[in-house]
Amino acid sequence: MIGEFLSYGFVQRGLVAGSFAAAACALLGVFLVLKRLSLIGDGMSHVCLTGVAVALLTSTNPVYMSVPVVMLSSLGIMKLTQKFKIYGDAAIGIVSAAGLSVGLMITAFAGGFNTDLLGYLFGSILTVARAEAVLCGVLLAVVLAGLLFFYRDLTSACFDEPFACTRGIRAGAVNTALVMVTSVAVVLAFKVVGIFLISALIIIPPVSALLLSRTFKQVLWLAAGFGVASVWLGVYLSFVFNIPSGATIILVNLLFLAGSYVYSKWGVKDAR
Amino acid sequence: MQSVIRAESLRFAYTRVPVLENISFDVKSGDYVGLIGPNGGGKTTLLKLLLGLEKGSGEIFLFGTPLEEFKDWHKIGYLAQKSPVSQSRFPISAEEVVLMGLPSRRGAAVSRAELKEVYAAMQQTRTREYAGRIFHDLSIGQQQRVLLARALVSKPELLILDEPSTALDASSREMFFDLLGELNSKHGVTILLITHDTGEVGKYISKFMYVDKTLVFFGTKEEFCKSDKVAQKLGAFAQHTIDHLHNHGHCPLGCSCGEEHK
Repeated sequence: MIGEFLSYGFVQRGLVAGSFAAAACALLGVFLVLKRLSLIGDGMSHVCLTGVAVALLTSTNPVYMSVPVVMLSSLGIMKLTQKFKIYGDAAIGIVSAAGLSVGLMITAFAGGFNTDLLGYLFGSILTVARAEAVLCGVLLAVVLAGLLFFYRDLTSACFDEPFACTRGIRAGAVNTALVMVTSVAVVLAFKVVGIFLISALIIIPPVSALLLSRTFKQVLWLAAGFGVASVWLGVYLSFVFNIPSGATIILVNLLFLAGSYVYSKWGVKDAR
Repeated sequence: MQSVIRAESLRFAYTRVPVLENISFDVKSGDYVGLIGPNGGGKTTLLKLLLGLEKGSGEIFLFGTPLEEFKDWHKIGYLAQKSPVSQSRFPISAEEVVLMGLPSRRGAAVSRAELKEVYAAMQQTRTREYAGRIFHDLSIGQQQRVLLARALVSKPELLILDEPSTALDASSREMFFDLLGELNSKHGVTILLITHDTGEVGKYISKFMYVDKTLVFFGTKEEFCKSDKVAQKLGAFAQHTIDHLHNHGHCPLGCSCGEEHK
C-alpha cells in the first residue's frame, strides 16, 4: 500500500512541497507564537482570498498574485499596531475582514465560486505543480539560512524586544522580516491545507513542540518535525480513506498536540 | 570628567499632554545617580528615551555621541523593572539569557570565551548555580539576578536600572546594592538607577535626579537635602525623610547634612 502510494508522481510532488512548506511555516511559527503574533497567519490567509480571486478573474497564477497582496496587508497590520497604536489582534481582525470581504466581492463579480477557488479554500496538495514545489524548497532554504545567520538576533528580539534594542538589534526590522517571510510562506502553503486552515500549520506544531522542549533549539527541530510528519501522515491517511487531505493534515497535527500535552503532563513526571 | 549621558530639552508625549518636558541634565563618568519621583512622573519613560526605546524631541548624547549615531551598545547595561517572560513559557536557559547581553554575533555557535564571560557575570550575581536551568522555572527574584548578570556581562561603563530590586528578598537586595556600589567605586561604572527606596541606596548614591513631568532637581545628595524646591515638591516623601531624621538622628540618604537637619 505504501509502495503504491509513493509511486505516484503527484503524491511525491505533494509530499515534497508539503514538507518544505510545513517545515517553513512551523519554524516561522515558533517566533510568531512566542511573540504572540501567531494570528497574523490567520489574517494573512483570509487576505489570500483576495489574491486568489483576482488571479482567477484575470486568469493569472494565484500564487504570484497573492504574494504582493498578502505582503502589503501584513505591512498594513504592522503599521496599524506600530503607528496607530491599535492592539495587534484588532489590527489583524481589521485587515482580515477587509481581505475576506474584498475577495468575496471580487468572487461575486466574477460569477461566484468555481472548483478552482474551492481547491484553494480547502487545499489540494495533490495538484501541486513542480514549479510550486521548487518555490516551497526555496522558501525553506531562505528560512533556514535566515535562522542560522540571525539566530541570536531572532531569539533575543523574541525573548525581550526592548533589551534587544539596547544591544543595537533592530527589532522592528526583525519583526518586519519575520512577517514578510511568513506572508510568502502562507501563500505557498495554501495549496497544502487550504486558505482556511493555513494558520493551523503556523500555530499547532510550535505549540506542540513548546510543550515538550527544554531548549529553544529543541523547539525549532520538534516544530519542523511535527509539521513534516503531519503532512506525510495526513496525505497517506487521506489517500487510504479517501478523505480531504488538508483537513486530515490539521487533524493529525491536533493529535500530535494532544499527545504532546499528555506526555508533558504525565510522561515527564513518570520519567522523573 | 567625561559626559556619559547628556540630555537637552527633552520632551515626550503620547497624546497632546506631555509626559515629560524641559528635561536637561549631564551625567558624568563615575556618577551614581538615583532617579526618583512620584508614580506616573515619567521616570521609566525618561530611561526609555535615553535608550532610544521611545522617540521624543530634544537631544540625547551617549558618551558624547548623538543617540541616533550611537553604536557602542556594549558600553551600556540595561535592566528593566519587569522580567520579560514572567507569564510565558520560553524554553531558554539562564546562561542563554545572560549570553544575550554580549555583542550580537552571526550564527548560533557559542565560543568558549563567551561562555567564560557569561559564567563570570553569573558568579558576580550569585546565579552560576542556575546556569543550566530554564529561565521561566526560576523565581522572580532569581530571574532578576540573572537579568542583572545579562546587564553586566558586556562589562558596561554605564548601567541603567529601572527599579531593579522590587522582586528581591532582603539578602539579595543587600548583595545587589553592594555589587552596584562596588562596580561604581572600584571600577568607575556610571549608574543611573530608578528607586523608591532612597534610604537603602542612599549610602551609595552620589547624585539625585528628581523627575515629576519635568526635571525638579539634579545635583549632589547634600544639595538635595537642602533644596527648598525639593522640600516643596516632595510632600509625603519629605515627611518620611524628616521622620527618619527624628528617629535615627541622621540623614537617611547617608549625606553629611544630618547635623543641619537636627
